[in-house]
Amino acid sequence: MPHVVTDNCNSCRYTDCVTTCPVACFHLSDERAYIDPEVCIDCSACIPACPVHAIVESIDLEPEQQHWIEINAREAKRYPVVSGKLPPLNGADARRSELGY
Amino acid sequence: MSVHFSETRTVRGACPQDCPDTCAFLYHVEDGVLVEVTGDPEHPMTRGGLCVKLKNFAEHHYNPDRLLHPMRRVGPKGSGQFERTTWEDALAEIRTRWTEIISEYGAEAIVPHSYLGHQGTLNGLTSGDALFNRLGATVAEKTYCESGSSTAWIMTVGPTGGLDVESLEYAKYIIVWGMNMLNTNLHAWPFIMKARANGAKVVVIDPVRTRTAKQADWHIRIKPGTDAALALGMMNIIIQENLFDADYVQKYTLGFDQLAKRAAEFPPDRVQQISGVAPQDLIQLAREYATVQPSAIREGVSVERSPGGGDAIRAISALPALVGAWRHVGGGAVEMPIWEFPFKLDFMCRPDWIRPGTRVINELDLGPALTGLLPLDPPIKSLFVYNSNPVSQAPAAGQVVSGLEREDLFTVVSELFVTDTAKYADILLPAAMQAEQYDLMVTWGHLYMMLNQPAIRPPGECVPNIEMFRRLARAMGFDDEYWSLPLDEMLLRSYDWSAPQMEGITLDKLKQRGYMRLNVGAPDVRAPHAKGNFKTPSGKCEFASSAAEAGNFVVPVWRSGYEGMQPRTYVDPVPNYIPPVDAMGATSSADFPLSLVSPKPHAFLNTQYGNELTQQRRQGEQLLVIHPIDAATRHIEAGDYVHVYNNRGSFDARAEISEDVSEGILMTNVGHWPGLTRSGTAVNSTTPPRHSNLGQAGTFSDNLVNVKKV
Repeated sequence: MPHVVTDNCNSCRYTDCVTTCPVACFHLSDERAYIDPEVCIDCSACIPACPVHAIVESIDLEPEQQHWIEINAREAKRYPVVSGKLPPLNGADARRSELGY
Repeated sequence: MSVHFSETRTVRGACPQDCPDTCAFLYHVEDGVLVEVTGDPEHPMTRGGLCVKLKNFAEHHYNPDRLLHPMRRVGPKGSGQFERTTWEDALAEIRTRWTEIISEYGAEAIVPHSYLGHQGTLNGLTSGDALFNRLGATVAEKTYCESGSSTAWIMTVGPTGGLDVESLEYAKYIIVWGMNMLNTNLHAWPFIMKARANGAKVVVIDPVRTRTAKQADWHIRIKPGTDAALALGMMNIIIQENLFDADYVQKYTLGFDQLAKRAAEFPPDRVQQISGVAPQDLIQLAREYATVQPSAIREGVSVERSPGGGDAIRAISALPALVGAWRHVGGGAVEMPIWEFPFKLDFMCRPDWIRPGTRVINELDLGPALTGLLPLDPPIKSLFVYNSNPVSQAPAAGQVVSGLEREDLFTVVSELFVTDTAKYADILLPAAMQAEQYDLMVTWGHLYMMLNQPAIRPPGECVPNIEMFRRLARAMGFDDEYWSLPLDEMLLRSYDWSAPQMEGITLDKLKQRGYMRLNVGAPDVRAPHAKGNFKTPSGKCEFASSAAEAGNFVVPVWRSGYEGMQPRTYVDPVPNYIPPVDAMGATSSADFPLSLVSPKPHAFLNTQYGNELTQQRRQGEQLLVIHPIDAATRHIEAGDYVHVYNNRGSFDARAEISEDVSEGILMTNVGHWPGLTRSGTAVNSTTPPRHSNLGQAGTFSDNLVNVKKV
């Protein structure tokens, strides 16, 4: 099942994920990343790459995380594909420590 | 107070699956338990990621349904009722039954059945060949996949590795022809994305708007089984408009005049009538393909799965020479680079043990062969199945089941799980899974030697196939040196390690590094046929094949190294379009008007992982994709259960209404375990047990059916 980028990506946007994705399904806004579910091929290569554990396969989402499926599908269409790593957002490292990673 | 330090280690391995990617594994083991299997980030193709199919591979080893001990049937055939027995008793029973059969009917009454459930040198496609050749059994022709393409490729360009998928990065025009790469060749896709970032155009030719088609710059929909007409139509335009590479053709090809004459029989309007591809699309495709160099074709195996599939692959494989694409790095065609590996089939399969005149039975004829529809003397009295699951994967599955129900048939199945086929076994033998065994993988989609080293011990009494066949050999009284050589010695004798492409590659280095690339030139410089050098008898790309004179043949790797009893049916020296004919007796297409294609599943590897709950969730239930018009005329709504049928059989599926298929075309996936579906059957209940014109490939895509709401 398609993967989704959840909460933890907000204000981090490390983009390690985009370098491991074999199909370029990551779309980036100024704040965070989204996965296009029509392009994701469910390989999970991105999951261990994310320093803040933001990426989850949709079948593993908790009930309170279900809304991320719709958000990723919708927002991925609004933003461009990025397939090369970008610098993390300012404050990403602080947020990462806050998240405990 | 005791402190426990867990022991963690990483072992290098390689994926066992029948997939062109053969990924480099890292087995992560803690205290003797396999906790995770990940992709090696250093491997140029694996790049650290596996795929959806292999995601729970560590857990798969510990699936509680694993077959752990030899079993003996206690219930009716197919009931799946077994009792535990010992290896000793199981082998003794096999010896007794086989000895009786040999004495009454001769050894040819024993028939093996296997394919690529495992892809190793020691445990894979050829692992049982030596035993069955030694026994004098019928030679099984293993043509489930690729055999039609192999024959076609060798007839046209010879046994060459062709274009390396890694070189696709340097192409400027890429045609993916009949392959859903994102499902079945995922790790080659990044090279296409790199090419695209450098300006390449990506074209997908496929009857279905697949995931891959959705990613392409241009999707050309084609009717199933009509690829040869499209390829010949392209040639017609290329020749008429003088877009071919006259210098390359003159120096490095054979039979241009004959090809030009054949191509001229395929003007755009005829191509449209046959394939459904519009003239303007054909013309644009031909012009772009010829003039934008380097142009590359990724040939999919699906093209072979029609009556004219062999000639379609020949026609497609001839295109790069016509336009001179082979001149360039990144130009040419990717088919199966396996021919670069210096196998020693004489050792692996021991065809010297085959008694002259031994018969051949094609595995796709299993149903007719077991049920008497294919007259056989002697009849098949024993079937030994390993690395395969014919109840799901063979065509005419209903006939296969009827045959397996025969009380007089002694069936032995070696398996990981009690599959739909294993349910019919008289004796079940437990097989080891990949992390539990040693093997050098046979790869057919890239140019790396890949060593799989065992990370954990096999559970219960499971054994690798090589050990099983050694036990069987001993049980049958064979004492040849072959059955007791150390495994490394087996590997050393299975390859020509002194071949130029193996320079610097040793087993010791493979044990350290896990994988090594053949010395065939790096992807950024390799252009194997820039100056001809084709591996055909003439050394040229043979538009008119010199091998055609001897008739149709199956490449020996698919038939235990055997050269005898080839089909030898007529082959036109120049590829032609041979139409699909789902000629089901006297029936007409009015009864069965819809054409069903059944590509590989996304989350299963054929049937492997189809019994894993998580994979079932990822794959979803058996779906039938149907065009809105075909659905409306049958009052089918999205989500309805539908019955798909013809006069060979039927299965049920849930309808998905989509324009991803054209009107008149249906799509479902092969690989769902028949016993786990709603109807107890799957798509191969409807497919025909017939062959493509080359290499005895199956014709799974030449399948007319009808559909009704359940």
